[in-house]
Amino acid sequence: MVQPEGCDEICASYRSRYERERKSRLAAEAIAERGLQELYQKKQLLELVGSIAISANQSSSIEEALQFAIERICETTGWQVAHVYMASAGDPRQLSPTHSWYGADREGIEEFRAQSEAISFDAGKGLPGRVLSTGSPAWIADLARDDNFPRRDAALRCGFTAAFAFPVLAGTEVVAVLEFYADHGVKPDDSFLQLMGQIGAQLGRVVERRRTEEHLVHEAYHDSLTRLPNRALLLDRLAQAMSRHKRHPDSKFAILFVDIDRFKIVNDSLGHSAGDELILQAASRFSQVLREEDVLSRCYECASGERGTLARLGGDEFVVLLEDLKDTVEAAKVAIRLQKSIGAAFFIGGTQLFVSASIGIASSDTPYTFPGDVLRDADLAMYRAKASGKAQYQVFDTRMHEQAMRRLDLESNLRLAMKHREFELYYQPIVHGATGGLHGFEALLRWSRPGFGLVAPGAFIDVAEDTDIIVPLGLWALEEACSTARDWRQQFPAHTGLTMSVNLSLKQFVQPQLALDIYTILEKTGIDPALVKLEITERCTMDDTERAQTVLSQLRALGVQLSIDDFGTGFSSLSYLHRFPFQNLKVDRSFVSRIGSDPESLAIVRTIVRLARDLRLSVTAEGVETELQLERLRHLGCDYAQGYFFAKPLSRQDAENVLRYGLRSPAAFALAEH
Amino acid sequence: MKGIIFNLLEDTLVAAYGAAIWEDLLRDIGSDGVYTSLGSYDDDQVQSLVLAASRKLSQPPAEILRWFGRAAMPLLVERYPRYFEGQSSIRAFLYSVNKIIHPEVRKIYPGAIVPTFEFRDAEDGGLLMGYRSPRRFCSLVQGFVEGAAAHFGETIVFTHLKCMHNGDNACLFHIGFGGSNRGSA
Repeated sequence: MVQPEGCDEICASYRSRYERERKSRLAAEAIAERGLQELYQKKQLLELVGSIAISANQSSSIEEALQFAIERICETTGWQVAHVYMASAGDPRQLSPTHSWYGADREGIEEFRAQSEAISFDAGKGLPGRVLSTGSPAWIADLARDDNFPRRDAALRCGFTAAFAFPVLAGTEVVAVLEFYADHGVKPDDSFLQLMGQIGAQLGRVVERRRTEEHLVHEAYHDSLTRLPNRALLLDRLAQAMSRHKRHPDSKFAILFVDIDRFKIVNDSLGHSAGDELILQAASRFSQVLREEDVLSRCYECASGERGTLARLGGDEFVVLLEDLKDTVEAAKVAIRLQKSIGAAFFIGGTQLFVSASIGIASSDTPYTFPGDVLRDADLAMYRAKASGKAQYQVFDTRMHEQAMRRLDLESNLRLAMKHREFELYYQPIVHGATGGLHGFEALLRWSRPGFGLVAPGAFIDVAEDTDIIVPLGLWALEEACSTARDWRQQFPAHTGLTMSVNLSLKQFVQPQLALDIYTILEKTGIDPALVKLEITERCTMDDTERAQTVLSQLRALGVQLSIDDFGTGFSSLSYLHRFPFQNLKVDRSFVSRIGSDPESLAIVRTIVRLARDLRLSVTAEGVETELQLERLRHLGCDYAQGYFFAKPLSRQDAENVLRYGLRSPAAFALAEH
Repeated sequence: MKGIIFNLLEDTLVAAYGAAIWEDLLRDIGSDGVYTSLGSYDDDQVQSLVLAASRKLSQPPAEILRWFGRAAMPLLVERYPRYFEGQSSIRAFLYSVNKIIHPEVRKIYPGAIVPTFEFRDAEDGGLLMGYRSPRRFCSLVQGFVEGAAAHFGETIVFTHLKCMHNGDNACLFHIGFGGSNRGSA
């Protein structure tokens, strides 16, 4: 302030006015300076939030992101020391200390640091606990006066006077708490805390992202329906078990391939949700068995227990991996317990269901290099178990593999055989029971396999069925038989009304365009449909009787005759038999062969013939080999007979000789003796 | 140069020599004298004002600057008390210039060009301080340091070991603590 130098009143007034203006200017400048300073600090803090957000997005771990965050926050804001607490893995209502610090090299901090790393906080306890319970930032303006701060004395001894902390939030869950300390008074600032809250949310995204990743990884290794490990995880664990076995040959392992029998029927008849429910309940029973196994092995063997992994490969296929076995025999015991567990009734949507399981076992008793091979062999053994009657288990042996390889070989040769026209038809005469006169022929498939000679259907028909080769093969056979019959009709006009019987397989029977295909063949060959007898096994009518009825009616409408084949061998559903439009019934050879010696078989055949009479069906007996058998069949009133007693299946040329010279002619007999 | 320096120069000169001197100096250099603390003005204008004051007061420009630094310090303490509050000694205060004060200055005056000082503890217990700036205001620095020492109630000995005005590419000061003030320029 400058002294006035004796001027007049106006001058004094100007002077005081000048002073006012000057003060106004200074005040305005001070306001502007404060504003600029605040603006600058805001910008710094926003940059802080930004840099932490970027780092959080790039860091590979939450620990890394939190370390970066406390460093940046301290550097920007002047808080001197920071420390991280994480929500405990086992209990999210508790915070555990970490070794993540900023400013931990501060002089005299050792005691505070040691205490901080030794203490856990429950909700509400201490500064971190307060943040955990509220999910919001908390501020202690004067540590000396805060009673809910267990580390107070140590904090005061290293000079801290103020503290604040804020949560890292994944959704609403506190996953970590960051705490900050300063040795100078810092006043609580709401906008600052708000900003720290934003940082906490950014950091929480790292946790959310990692959880999503973990979830995806879990998805990739687990079955979505049962939450059980899937094939990928199973193979992984199997590979580990194999390498353990390699290092310690005493640590054995086994794979149990479990397939639920009749699952498809449940799925088809009760719907997919019922199928899913069955899978879930079965999974839970299997898991229970494995848990019990685990307990048992711990009880009795103390040191090393069996370790079991239950996996689902999809559909009704489960796989159990047993590890650390002392003896692979244990695997069979587990198989029995698994089968027992699934044997009890299931209740699904109010329906009581009974199912069983077929189990194949492969173990470290066979030397393996690849996990996939163990699984393959267990699968093979399972198929063997299924084939030998359901609810069985089978242990894999190398012969199974050889058989499987042979089968595979057969399959590819069958396909080639179709291409190379290696199949031909043989014709077995069918005679009138009463007169012995020729009634017709049954066309039978033979495979003239290079290097093997003539192969009978028994050696390949199963594989042809399984691989669907039977479908084109069956149609070929029908067409071939029909054109032969047509040719014979022209060649041998004396033989009127000769029938041609042809077998239809189950696979053919379920083809939707079966009737159309047969119609096409009938048209193409120009044969009288009434002379064609299609032989259909009971199996075809069993699974879906309504559809079977429809298909049979369609075929009947084409004018062909329908014959039920191998009657008496399946689970003949007599109640349905009358509803199917059959004209003929073929008694299975197993009864015929015993008809001379076994009174029961005789009684069965008698019953069948009587039943056929009542249903107005003609009866054909197959497999007739002796005169006695023929006598008895005649006596029972059997309409037709076929078998080696009359003639074995004949080549086309030999069959034509029969047509030319008669069945009982010496020439024909000579043929029959071949 | 920020307007705050012009304001401080005006205040110190007017306080010491009366209101008229500032008007005279402005007239001498042909300036309208509108300087607000937040504004930026040519460095030339400060140089011109210092030269004009040097002529008027018959003192070397360096001495004017040193005097100005010393006299401005109490005003700075009054205007920015928090820069001084946390410090216990002139030595600590000097060390805080780079770390605290200049960053703070940049907050208020974005774009302000502030010099960076180098500090080393001297073997004799004193402090070596390096200064390099195209403005070559080493005398102002000396004045500020001496003024700050006075604020902390300390006596220092400020020695120019090297000086840009003598052809060196930077100034180097030695600051002795606790001795009598026998500063040189």
